[in-house]
Amino acid sequence: MDKEALFKEIFQKNSRKIYHLCYGYTGDDDSANDLMQETFLKVWQNLDKFRNQALISTWIYRIAVNTCLSYLRVEKRQIKDELTDNIIENKSEEISEKPEQVATLYKCISQLEENERLIITMVLDEIPYPEIAQISGISDGNLRVKIHRIKQKLTELYNRHERF
Amino acid sequence: MKDFEALKNIWHHQVALPKVSHEDVLRKVRQTKSGFANKLLFELTGISVAIVMLGYIWISSPFKMWTTHLAMVIMVGCCLYYLYTQLVDFFKIKDESLMHKPEDYIEYLKKYKGDRYTLNTRNYKVYTLFLSFGFLFYFIEIGFLASVWITVLGLVLTGVWILFCYFILMRRYIRKEELRLEDMIKNLERLENQFKPEQS
Repeated sequence: MDKEALFKEIFQKNSRKIYHLCYGYTGDDDSANDLMQETFLKVWQNLDKFRNQALISTWIYRIAVNTCLSYLRVEKRQIKDELTDNIIENKSEEISEKPEQVATLYKCISQLEENERLIITMVLDEIPYPEIAQISGISDGNLRVKIHRIKQKLTELYNRHERF
Repeated sequence: MKDFEALKNIWHHQVALPKVSHEDVLRKVRQTKSGFANKLLFELTGISVAIVMLGYIWISSPFKMWTTHLAMVIMVGCCLYYLYTQLVDFFKIKDESLMHKPEDYIEYLKKYKGDRYTLNTRNYKVYTLFLSFGFLFYFIEIGFLASVWITVLGLVLTGVWILFCYFILMRRYIRKEELRLEDMIKNLERLENQFKPEQS
């Protein structure tokens, strides 16, 4: 398979999940698209190293996570209110089903810490725990405790938002 | 009241799609490549022209004083140093670091930022000083060839320029860079702590 065809296949298999990860992290559509593009640009540049790897997606996630981390370093987009408005605005245009609930969910994710945002979007996208551990560099046991805590935190935040 | 499974269900109902296609990425790859090559070529051409011009002046002008020859050595040295830092920087930005564990990647970013800070402050300060002294030495011989007033004026203006660069421009620039670095390091350390194993 030539490089472009392989890249296309990888892109089609992973782009949506990587986009969710970037969206969950940044809270806005434009930045999520930029980060996703940057991630796949790096994937293209490193494609030869991936060719014989069994789990390409793990590496792609690793690159995406690191790209997201370096993004925060440059752009300080932590103003929660702005972030939230942005999400609601963007989401309402794009989502046909359960738009308010998805917007609330993103709003709650934006209130988590950076690493929690990254981990929970992977959990929501049903990435297996050992793979999340490998991507985040957190030990299996530690990760399980973390995930349990983040799940609780997110559920509490969501239910609190729904009540008001 | 919803449990986590219900949230997961909501998550899977979202239909938000990326606006970037694989063709967009490949287009960007080509643009970045040519952008990179063009920038490097531009820098190389600019600095090569400067070196050739300096060399031409050096050879074609019958300089008599050692200070002028020293000025030429300093100025050509500065040009070569600038070229070297640009090349090193271009080749240092390899993306392998992106495959490190997030904790190590943050550590790498901290180091990279620290190095950039040193380059932009300490090395730049030395570079500016050398270049200024190069000009100062050059003006000494010019001063002997021109009238006293022009010599004095040339020396005073060059001296004022060095002092202005060093005490005003450089200090202001370094203070700004310092604040930027502190801010970045603070952010990176906060992120690093999030990925560190928890102490129980």
